Amino acid sequence: MFQFKLVLLGDSSVGKSSIVHRFVKDSFDDFRESTIGAAFLSQTIKIRDTSSDSTEDTVIKFEIWDTAGQERYKSLAPMYYRNANAALVVYDITQQDSLSKAQNWVNELKNKVGDEDLIICLLGNKLDLCDSSDNGDKRAVMTDEAKVYAEEQDLLFYEVSAKTGQGVKDVFQSIGEKLYQIKKEEMLSKKGRQAASAKDSVNVKLQRPSTNDPTSCCY
Amino acid sequence: MSVDILRTTEGIEQHKPLMNEGIGVAAEQTESTKVARNSGPRKSPSAPNFHEKTYAGHSMSEPTLLRNCNGDNLLNLGDNLSFNDRDANLSVINLYDDEVISRQMDDFEDNNDEDSQQNVDSDEGNTPTMSMLQNNCNGSETEHLDRYGFKKQNNFITVEEYNKWWKDYSQYCIRRKHKWKLLLAKSGLPMDNDSPNRFPSRSEKLKRYVRKGIPAEWRGNAWWYFARGQEKLTKNKGLYDKLLQKMDDLLKKKKKKKPMQDLDIIERDLNRTFPDNIHFQRETFQLDEPPMIKSLRRVLVAFSLYNPKIGYCQSMNFLAGLLLLFMDEEKAFWMLVIITSRYLPGVHNVNLEGVNVDQGVLMLCVKEYLPEIWPFIAPLHKRSPINLGNSKYNFGKNEFLYRLPPITLCTASWFMSCFVGVLPIETTLRVWDCLFYEESHFLFKASLAILKLSEQTLLKNRPQRVLRHYSLSNGNYHSKDLRINQDESEMEVFQVIQSFPKHLINPNDIFDKVIFKKRVALNRLDQDEIDRCRKYVTTQRQRYKNYNEIVGSNLHHDDDEINDSNAQKNDLLSNGPQDYGSINNENNEEQISGAASDMKVNSNNRIGNDLVNNALSSEVYGFKKSLSGVHWNNSIKEKVRQMRKKRGKDDDVLL
Repeated sequence: MFQFKLVLLGDSSVGKSSIVHRFVKDSFDDFRESTIGAAFLSQTIKIRDTSSDSTEDTVIKFEIWDTAGQERYKSLAPMYYRNANAALVVYDITQQDSLSKAQNWVNELKNKVGDEDLIICLLGNKLDLCDSSDNGDKRAVMTDEAKVYAEEQDLLFYEVSAKTGQGVKDVFQSIGEKLYQIKKEEMLSKKGRQAASAKDSVNVKLQRPSTNDPTSCCY
Repeated sequence: MSVDILRTTEGIEQHKPLMNEGIGVAAEQTESTKVARNSGPRKSPSAPNFHEKTYAGHSMSEPTLLRNCNGDNLLNLGDNLSFNDRDANLSVINLYDDEVISRQMDDFEDNNDEDSQQNVDSDEGNTPTMSMLQNNCNGSETEHLDRYGFKKQNNFITVEEYNKWWKDYSQYCIRRKHKWKLLLAKSGLPMDNDSPNRFPSRSEKLKRYVRKGIPAEWRGNAWWYFARGQEKLTKNKGLYDKLLQKMDDLLKKKKKKKPMQDLDIIERDLNRTFPDNIHFQRETFQLDEPPMIKSLRRVLVAFSLYNPKIGYCQSMNFLAGLLLLFMDEEKAFWMLVIITSRYLPGVHNVNLEGVNVDQGVLMLCVKEYLPEIWPFIAPLHKRSPINLGNSKYNFGKNEFLYRLPPITLCTASWFMSCFVGVLPIETTLRVWDCLFYEESHFLFKASLAILKLSEQTLLKNRPQRVLRHYSLSNGNYHSKDLRINQDESEMEVFQVIQSFPKHLINPNDIFDKVIFKKRVALNRLDQDEIDRCRKYVTTQRQRYKNYNEIVGSNLHHDDDEINDSNAQKNDLLSNGPQDYGSINNENNEEQISGAASDMKVNSNNRIGNDLVNNALSSEVYGFKKSLSGVHWNNSIKEKVRQMRKKRGKDDDVLL
């Protein structure tokens, strides 16, 4: 089993906690209490490695840090994103301002984490409020605007709805696959060496019995 | 957003005329809060009635409110009435369930206690309206709610668990209330229709009574009394209304412009405050938002105008929200002022330094009083080197005061919201009872008690961590393995500490198992100790920060740094806004910036203090009563004590 640390960042009330709860508990509340400080949750997913001969799925465990959105909590953020493997930077597609806040987060991550393997995913939430066939379309951030930015910055990009669940699982699935890919390449390049000396930024559960250790025999 | 703003303005206009009526009464009758309450204008309209015995007065104020606010439609009227119905269900008659009430009668009759008998009678005499309403409204609608309107069930506790516990605890509450009544009678204090607003003078006995729980329907009054709220209100007559006026003006002016950031964030948090509480919910058929939400908005916005240095900080919504369940708006406002200045100084400030300081203090306390828990929390090794070059300061052992362990991300919220949303409601309220009677050290005591109680769960989840801590401290480890392992076990500990308090449904678990146990070391902790710890940690963090800045930027303006640090420290330690507010000045912002510059002037006089504090900053903080493991030079200690005494006098002169 692989373990990856993932952190959610973004402006207040864009839906960070709702996304996590949709992913971890598959539930949604219209009004969720404001997050104070931080919350920690975990969830596992399965990855099918198409390139390998193994027919068994690989299990990935996400350790998720959900954070408070208000500006003043920003000073605590380095504690969350320290050693993170992936960051979900969330904005609210009905609030233009939340995109610029998300962009600030992307800059901060790039400046302060300085880890090229850190996967940053830009995530537009509240897609359920943007039904173009309906008069009630509240969209304020055009998909293209965010998409162009994400491409420039080399970020993953999705629009999701925590309320309906649309797209949420896919986000975590594709992040998981990408992290697995990075991990695998890393292990291949360090073939023969002990996995424990693999790159710092990746967490591998090391103290498992070696029979469960995917690094012990497969390569 | 514009829609929200519009609503805000409506809210104010609706309440304005009433407020103005109310001020005269409140201002003239400073001593008798009772009169102010009965005239009822500022009462949060949907506040539950377990603390509001004079329901007649309450329901009279309600129609007035309706007449004033909207002659426009009947639907709205209906909505508001439906709130009354609900209130009735949560009201005092239902406080301990009917079945329990009858037992209460038996109990009191057995005791043949005149005083309590009277009160039971008067309870009933006072609430015919309520019992009527209750009959109209079938209990099934609200049986999933507790007596404050919160859902009994949540992710951590089932309805069955709740009911099972409540059956006993409600009996306990009745017994305690009976004792309180006797105590009041003995002290010659009036019961005032089961809403006493004066309490016995401080004593060990009263402290024990408070710790065993203040009767729910007295809590608003008791908190107000113990926190000396009336003093504050009397000093600042009319200020709350001025702030509301200012808010009104501001919203009118800003309607078309971009709203202020604080107001915007307040707006987003209103519906995210107790979404599980019926008083904060808007039913789908309601056009207007619940009165409680309007009150919450006014309290929070007024506060952000009153103290721009704090403005609005997420978590204050929960503080204000809980206060509003127990007292009227103006009182809730002043209690919020008192909490954020006296009990939690600096905790909600823009830089959150106060909360970091308190987490440092908590970590020191854990290390001192819960050495068995410390290994779960302590950093296993020093992180990247801080002491670059020739290190003047050796921060080694105190590094955790600056680089706080991850668990503090969790415990920070315990302090910011004073356990609201962290502990189940009845347990939270018991902590609040003690907080207002015993001051802020009780928050630390409660935190330590929770950590102590979590020990078994920690051990179950992570027995090897403790072992590893000791074996690794011998220096025999591979650093990369270690960091990975450390991260992982930190997460596991975090998860335990995060969810453990949510299961503490029975307040007596904390009190009987820890707080009342005389032999438990952490009960030696007192306010003086916490005050000293706070000063120590503040200074340590500042030294560390200064040092990093100096080393980081290769600048050596030591004097400037010290001045800065003093300014910031004073900023943090002074009960600033509390004092500013007492000057009855119209322009609050000017007032505050003025006071801030005064403070800087003062800080120059205090450079000497920094030297004192540096001398005080021994490598390890010395807890007063337990000196085991403390390296403390007694001659320095004595010297420092004298210097502090002198400084204390100087400060008095200065202030």
